[in-house]
This record gives sequence, C-alpha cells and structure tokens, in this order.
Amino acid sequence: MLEKMAKYSNAEEWADIVPIPQDDGPGQPLAAIAYSDDYVEAMSYLRAVMANNEMSERALHLTEDIIRMNPAHYTVWLYRSRILFATSSSLPAEITWLNTIALKYQKNYQIWHHRHTIVDALNSCTGEQDFLSQMFELDMKNYHVWSYRQWLVKRFDLWEGKGELEAVESILERDVRNNSAWNHRWYLVFGRGESCFEDKERVRREVDYAKEAIHLAPQNQSPWNYIRGLIRQTKGPAALSLASFKQFASEFASLDDPDNVTSSHALDLLAEILAEREGDAADAAKALDLLAKKYDPIRENYWKYRKSLLVGQGGVKAAA
Amino acid sequence: MAMENTTNSSDSRIEELSDSELPTSEMEQVAMSAEEVSIPSLFTSHPPIKDNLVTITSEMQGETLAELLPYLMEPEGDLNVFGISSLIRKKHTRYLRHMLEGPFPPQFVAADATRPWMLYWALAAMTMLDVDVSEYRERIISTCTPFQNKTGGFGGGHGQFSHIATSYASVLSIVMVGGQEALDLIDRKAMWHWLGQMKQKNGGFSVCEGGEIDIRGAYCSMTIISLLNLPLELPANSPAQVNGDETFLTNLEEWVSSCQTYEGGIAGAPNNEAHGAYAFCALACLAIIDTPSKIIPRCLNMPSLISWLSSQQHAPDSGFAGRTNKLVDGCYSHWVGGCWPIISAALSSSSQPQTDLWSREGLIRFILCCCQQQKQGGLRDKPSKNPDSYHSCYVLAGLSTAQHYFGFQDQESFSVVRASAGFGWSITGRADVICDEDDWVKPVHPLFVVPFERAVECRKYFEEREGF
Ligand SMILES: [Zn+2]
Repeated sequence: MLEKMAKYSNAEEWADIVPIPQDDGPGQPLAAIAYSDDYVEAMSYLRAVMANNEMSERALHLTEDIIRMNPAHYTVWLYRSRILFATSSSLPAEITWLNTIALKYQKNYQIWHHRHTIVDALNSCTGEQDFLSQMFELDMKNYHVWSYRQWLVKRFDLWEGKGELEAVESILERDVRNNSAWNHRWYLVFGRGESCFEDKERVRREVDYAKEAIHLAPQNQSPWNYIRGLIRQTKGPAALSLASFKQFASEFASLDDPDNVTSSHALDLLAEILAEREGDAADAAKALDLLAKKYDPIRENYWKYRKSLLVGQGGVKAAA
Repeated sequence: MAMENTTNSSDSRIEELSDSELPTSEMEQVAMSAEEVSIPSLFTSHPPIKDNLVTITSEMQGETLAELLPYLMEPEGDLNVFGISSLIRKKHTRYLRHMLEGPFPPQFVAADATRPWMLYWALAAMTMLDVDVSEYRERIISTCTPFQNKTGGFGGGHGQFSHIATSYASVLSIVMVGGQEALDLIDRKAMWHWLGQMKQKNGGFSVCEGGEIDIRGAYCSMTIISLLNLPLELPANSPAQVNGDETFLTNLEEWVSSCQTYEGGIAGAPNNEAHGAYAFCALACLAIIDTPSKIIPRCLNMPSLISWLSSQQHAPDSGFAGRTNKLVDGCYSHWVGGCWPIISAALSSSSQPQTDLWSREGLIRFILCCCQQQKQGGLRDKPSKNPDSYHSCYVLAGLSTAQHYFGFQDQESFSVVRASAGFGWSITGRADVICDEDDWVKPVHPLFVVPFERAVECRKYFEEREGF
C-alpha cells in the first residue's frame, strides 16, 4: 500500500521533479473532491511537468496513468497529444491504446477529439470504420462517435464506394428509427456540395429509400424529416414539389377517412401540401384540427399556430 | 453521498391535500375546479398511433412510457391543488447545498475537470429556488481563484487549461454571488486575449486551445463577452485576424446558420445531427448579438426550426426529447423549453400578441411528477436515473420558462457593436399554469440562465469601468 501511494515520489525516474500540490484557494473550497492518494500524487507531478512544458516519455506515461483514473480530464488529453507529436511517438500504437479506452468509457468525448487529432496526423483511416462499428454495437446513437464519423468521411474522402452507405444501411436495417444514421446518410449523399441537390438520380434514389422506410413504420419521424428536408433543399432539375407528395401522404392520412390515420407525420405533411393552395386551405385546416384534437394533441398550440398562418382561415392573414 | 434510486412512496395523498392549510382563495379554487384535478387523458394514455414494427428505439420508448405513466397517473408525494406533485423546495435546497459544498467521495474524480460546472449548476438551481446565494461569495471567490489562468480564462481546476465551458461556468458563478470583490476577480483583459485565441477564421469558436470548434464555444463566448462588456474588436494575435478589421462577430452568423440541419434543428457543428442543447446555444448566441426578430429569421429557417422544436414534445411523456426518436429527458426542459421564449421574441411584432407554440402544462406535469427525487431531493433525467446538479439546474430552468412570459423590448442602444441585446429582456408576466404559489420558481434570464438582476449588475459594473 505504502509503495503504491508513493508511485512517483519514491521513483528514481522522478527524483528531479518537485511536485506542485493543488491550490484550493485561501478559504474552504466548494465542490471539493476527496481524491484518492494516487490521484493526488499523479496530479501534483502533472502540474509540475506541465509547468516546465516537459515533452518526454515519462510525462507520456504520467498522462496515461491519470487518464486511467479520470478519462474526463481534457487538459491531460491535450497535453498528451502535444507530447506525442513532440516526441514523435508511434501514432498507430496510440490508436490501439485508445481503442481499449474508448470501449471502456463510452460516454467520454475527450477521447474522440484526441482520436481526431491523432488520425488526422496519421493521415490514414485504416481500421477506423471497423472500430466505429464496434462502438455502435454498444450505443448506436452516440453523438460523439457519429460526429467523428462525419469528420472521417470528409477527411478521407469516404463519400462513395468506401462502405459508408452500406454501414448506414445495415444500421437502419436493424433499427429504421435510428435518426443518427439517417443524418449520416444525408451527409454522405448531399454533404459534398450544393450540386448534389441538383442530381435527379440521386434525389430519386433517396426519395425511394425514405418511402420504403416509411412503409415499414409509418409513424417513424426520421424518414419523414428526411423527405421534408429533400423538398426544401433539392433544386434545379431535381427540385421536388410539395404537391408531388400528396398521394404518398394520403396513403397514411386521408381526410376522407379521418379515423384511420396511420401517421401523424403524414397528416402534418398533408397539411403543409394543402396550405400551399389557397383553395385547399379549408382542408389544410381540417388536417391541422385532426392533429390538434386527435393525433398529436400535446402540440395543439403549434397546430393552431400553423392554422393561423393559413390564408383565408380566420387566421391573422385573413383578418388583415 | 451515493444517491440511491427512487422507490415509490405510497404516502396517503388525499389526507395531505385535505390537511394542508390553503389560503381561502385557493380553497375556492379547489372547490370550483374539482374536475380539473382529474388528469387529462392526454397524459395518461398511450399515443394514438403506434407502429407494429419493433426495433431497439421503439422498445426503449415503450419501456420509458411504462416507467413514466405511473408517475403521471398517480403523482408522488404532496400534491398541489391541481393534483400533481408539489415542488419540494426544501429537499431540493438541502440536496443542492450538499452538492455545492461537497466534499465528494473519490468516485467523483470525473468531476475534477468540471468543478466550475458543479458550482454553477448548484448555485443557479438554488437561485431559482429563491435561495440568497450571496452567502457563498467568499467561498466562490476563494474556490474560483485557482481556476483562472494568467493567460486568460478559467480551467476546470488548478493547473488545467482554460476552457470555454469552464470559463462560462466560472464567470456565471461569480456573477450569481455578485458584488465588487467577486466581479473584480475576473481578469477581463486576459479573458479578452484568450477568447481572441479561440475565435476561428470560419466564424466559430474553439472550446480550448487545440480543442473542438462547436456551438458551445460560440454561445459561451458571446455570453462572457456580453456580461463582461468586453470589446468586440479582436486582439491582434487572434487566428481570426486576416484583414485586420475582423471582430468577434465576423462570420459568426454564417457559422451558426451552417449548423442548422435538414431536419430544421441545430447541430453542435455543421453536418452533425440536430440536438436540443445545441438549438438553445444557437438561439441564445444569436439573441445576445441582436434583436431576436431581426437576427434569428435572418440566420435560420424558421418554419423548419419551429416544427423540429415542437416535435420534441410527445405525449403522454410530455417533457422534451433532445433528438428525433430519442427519449424524453428532464434536462431538455431547458435546452428545448428554453428555446421557446427566444422563438416567441423572434416571431413577435407589435401588432401580434405572443401566443404559445408549445404545451406548458405538459412540461410542468413531467417536471413536477417525474423529475423530482422525492426522498432526498434533487432533480433528474427521469425516475430511473439518479438526480444530479446538472439536471437540477436545467429542470428548474425549464420550470422557470414554463411558468413565466419573457419579452424583448427593442432599444436603440442595443446596437450590434455592443453585444448587449440580451439586456432587452424582461419578465412580462406569469403564465396561467397548474402551479400552487409554493411551486413557483424565481425566473432566470432566458439567455444567460442566471437571475436577471445579477446579469444586469455585472454588465453595469463593467460598463462603468474605463477600459479594462
Ligand atoms: Zn439529461
């Protein structure tokens, strides 16, 4: 025990360092933590080597020691990446080590920024996609992992033919409601530039994909949001009109059969389509009333607001 | 310290209700509104539409509904006249004092890089419970002093790099305890230099040197700049200096715009997934810069943003979720709930009265019935989770939003060059909601999330200063 507590102060290797204890301020500190002795000691050596901006093998080991005790310590991660570069340490070895840490501390996001820094410098993404699949086995919606994946796609040109779209599709096959995967799909398909929104073939493929997903689970909001995004952003020869989705929306929400709506999102889209034409405003109001009263009443105020925007439906515009 | 999980307390509620000494006016209210105490079926029944396809997401949603429905249908603890759980102010206060004062056991080591947040969350939550936190002034000054770096900004602890989030949390903690001695602790000139280092050419802000560029960086920076009345000109050595005329605002609106996704919501950085916490950061950041009705429609697609925000509220679980197809969580009461006053101000015109676009009742039911840890106090994500300072702060901030109306009054003096639009806000009234007098929280500023008077005191103090 004694030996363990004096990991640094008894070590020959660290004899030249005068540890800097934590300054807790002159008074009684708030939100203080009763640290373990190991942590207190390691941190006091960290403060000392950081004060000298020491870039060494032993400092690297010290950061590893602290990260194992507290992976949420952003300063240690940043210091570690500086040492890695200054000492020309092996970056592939760093990635191997990082993999074990990342799988162990899933919710930690300092790890992902560090990984970004290292992989960027490595200039290679070999093995990254496989590792990300492993991460997604643990949590398929981890925000930091997906954000990292988006960076990876751009950095290493993984837009097409590199397995990304296939990876997304396999996640969506398992859970068509995974919105993070839908977002990644959007990025893969349209993230390279505005011209993607003018590509008729691409847009048609995406519409078909989303429609198919809706047929599997009509109340799944993700593909409906995808379609609405497409309607807003496609342009030129590939531009989609709202009206062209009237028939599709009606498959799940028909004003002729108001008791059998199978998707509130279809009804929402239908209301938007109907609102476009002044002559359909009364029907749009009906759709919005159905949402407010029956199919999505928690959002009653929002549906009323949408109704107030309808031309000629007693809303503000009509009164004006 | 380990906060054990909630067990359903089976207190006799009917007795509590009849025993309580209500003022006469409220007694009348009880008598008049007997049927109001029955809970609207919206909050007690499953959603009207359900798909048959089972996936991980739908399973988790089903489990969450099963977890929450008992709390909504048979609220725990003492009930208010509307038949929902009362705000257990004393227990929350006791819990928060403990969370502020510590000390925490060694397992809390993960908080070692976020101690300024531990201060901020607990203090902010206490101010909403109407506790006078100025009694902590000396200890806040003492605790925060070692967090500040000579090169500007505050780190998560002594010897840690300055970080935008811990700087935000430290500054706001200092602002909340207030007073000259506390405000003088902040080295504004060094802060200005350091923030200049964080400002990027693309318009965004890095969270620390060598750190990620995300929308927290933008919101936290603008909050600090505005409260401390820092110059908007960039220091000479900022990486964002190209032509020499750049400021902290250069390309910022464009950068925030680029975070809006195809869903209409806002991501932490361009191309990431729309997320409730980042929606608040984006809206509040913009509203600090300029009049909401000007800047927000200028930067963001309003119909899709409003649609996305609105779609994060579901029934019967009636609080907010943070992303499409994710679960309701108490902290989004602020992150999504807190967007609504800013949206209302963005939509407002003098000819049009402000109307709610969301359900205050739903959020209040969720907060009071599901987010309160009845045994030891503290607020939480949902009943299966332990309370913590973070959720206590943002659940109560959501309650502040649900209970009050906030208005923005445009003034000539809020020119963009002063980043002072945040000071055009005021509380314009109390909403007609299902709360007893004891359930009301003290409102916090809709952008800075500290008491109004403390934010104003800070800005005034630094406006009266010449130079740094
Ligand atoms: Zn939460």
